[in-house]
Amino acid sequence: MIRFEHVSKTFPGSSTPAVGDLSFEIPRGEIVVLVGPSGCGKTTTLKMINRLIEPTSGEIWIDGVPSTTQEPHLLRRSIGYVIQQIGLFPHRTIAENIATVPGLLGWDQGRIEERVSELIELVGLDDSVADRYPAELSGGQQQRVGVARALAADPPVLLMDEPFGAVDPIVRARLQEELKILQARLQKTIVFVTHDIDEAIGLGDRVAVFNVGGVLEQYAAPEDLLRAPAGDFVVAFLGSERGLRRLSLIAVDTVVLEPGAIVEASSSGYEARAVAREQGTDWVGVVDNGRMLGWIWIADLDGHDTVADLRPKPFSARLERSNTLRQALDAIVTSKTQVAVVVDGDRYLGMLTAERLNEALLS
Amino acid sequence: MIFAQTSEPFIRWDWVWSHLGLIWSKVVQHLVLTGIALGVGFAISLVLAMVALRYRKSYAPITWVAGVLYAIPSLALFVMLLPVTGLSITTAEIGLVSYTLLIFIRNIVAGIDGVPTHIREAALGMGYTRRKLLLDIEVPMALPVIIAGIRIATVTTIGLVTITALIGYGGLGQLILDGLNRLFTTPLVVGAVLSMVLALLFDGLLILLERALTPWARRKAAIS
Repeated sequence: MIRFEHVSKTFPGSSTPAVGDLSFEIPRGEIVVLVGPSGCGKTTTLKMINRLIEPTSGEIWIDGVPSTTQEPHLLRRSIGYVIQQIGLFPHRTIAENIATVPGLLGWDQGRIEERVSELIELVGLDDSVADRYPAELSGGQQQRVGVARALAADPPVLLMDEPFGAVDPIVRARLQEELKILQARLQKTIVFVTHDIDEAIGLGDRVAVFNVGGVLEQYAAPEDLLRAPAGDFVVAFLGSERGLRRLSLIAVDTVVLEPGAIVEASSSGYEARAVAREQGTDWVGVVDNGRMLGWIWIADLDGHDTVADLRPKPFSARLERSNTLRQALDAIVTSKTQVAVVVDGDRYLGMLTAERLNEALLS
Repeated sequence: MIFAQTSEPFIRWDWVWSHLGLIWSKVVQHLVLTGIALGVGFAISLVLAMVALRYRKSYAPITWVAGVLYAIPSLALFVMLLPVTGLSITTAEIGLVSYTLLIFIRNIVAGIDGVPTHIREAALGMGYTRRKLLLDIEVPMALPVIIAGIRIATVTTIGLVTITALIGYGGLGQLILDGLNRLFTTPLVVGAVLSMVLALLFDGLLILLERALTPWARRKAAIS
């Protein structure tokens, strides 16, 4: 756990504090994202933890010990550090880069080698990168090495300063996903700085929204932040798509599904028409013993006795329970049937409509 | 042409064969004079560069003094030193060392300044001490620029050594001076050509040294 106690920082030659009287706690094993516009002191706050910047006043406690009890360079060896530009040493191989902190800590060579190959695998790189130089790797690979290097000595705390800011959006999304998977395994205390609210909401167990001058405007779980933003600044910073962002935080399986306009493949045309009328649709979904086959237009039933006479069209998007409501919304607005079909493998679970999403947000 | 009247051939190989021992001893002296100048010059420059890097304000005055030394004509410098250090090897080396300082200091400082800030920040953030940062990160990363400086200084010094023949040293410069005094082209040509060969040879060796010491820089170039 990291605790800020009335911490402030005023840089020499500046009349206004970069961070003013900051007190908050970062629980052990959580990802806390510091987010805010440039000049809000989020990076200063991060760098005060490993004392790359010394606070003007106040105290930072790391696991019950004031950060000032240790020499800065010794303190830093127990705190992982990842920066946007990565900062890999160009004259050292990937293996040597990863071995940096274990080397500083004086581990023996065998233990270092073992740890390095373990980490290369952990961050999803191929063994063959070990003997290459950083310049030979892509940006995404380099950032993985950056993360591996920060994790090398298994520090309980990891500081990440806009680590994915310099890679393209596709790679960034993948690295974010990998970080979440990694965190589920490692349970580090991660302090993550970004100016991207979507990244903050997507990664953080908690999000700290900073205003200019290092003022902590709100510190809450992403869901709470979006549902109940504290004040105009947070509302403005969260942007105009707050509802959509909230949808992306809610999993499909937390919502009660509708049975939907569904008939068995063995049903008659009459039964199908009755279901469609009742549900107010001009189509019905077709299931066979709980297995989703697709859907048919009611109009196409003319001249046929049973549903089985028609070949059902597949739904354009099927959602699993782990998908988010935002993905459900996407399926709804892009399908002819205006519903999102939720399945578990082949088994039909139910449907989501725009009305259901609306209820989920307002509940 | 001052040699136009002589009926001597441009180069008399029989003189060369009969004076191999002499020529070799001049080559050795040439290299010793060069080596001392480069070694002492680099050591002084290293100290001054570290001072300049530690105390930024000292960089301008340090390079100013080194620049003035660099600008003094070498002959004039030897004449100025004669009353102080006489016709000694010290006189010769003070002159030679003076000309290496500006090159070395500038390249050491530029090389270390060229290390990107984020590399430093990453290193300090992981728990490097200042000293370890300098030795393990900054100096190795500055090597291409530092070695570029060593190459310029080496080629310059090998050429300059010949001038110290005027105060009784000079290595191959003595052969050149001897040829000039006696209007005898053979030692002059031998001295001049061998001096050039040494310069090119050591430049080449330093290129090989750089490649061996900085494999990372080459691989980077190969893919970009």
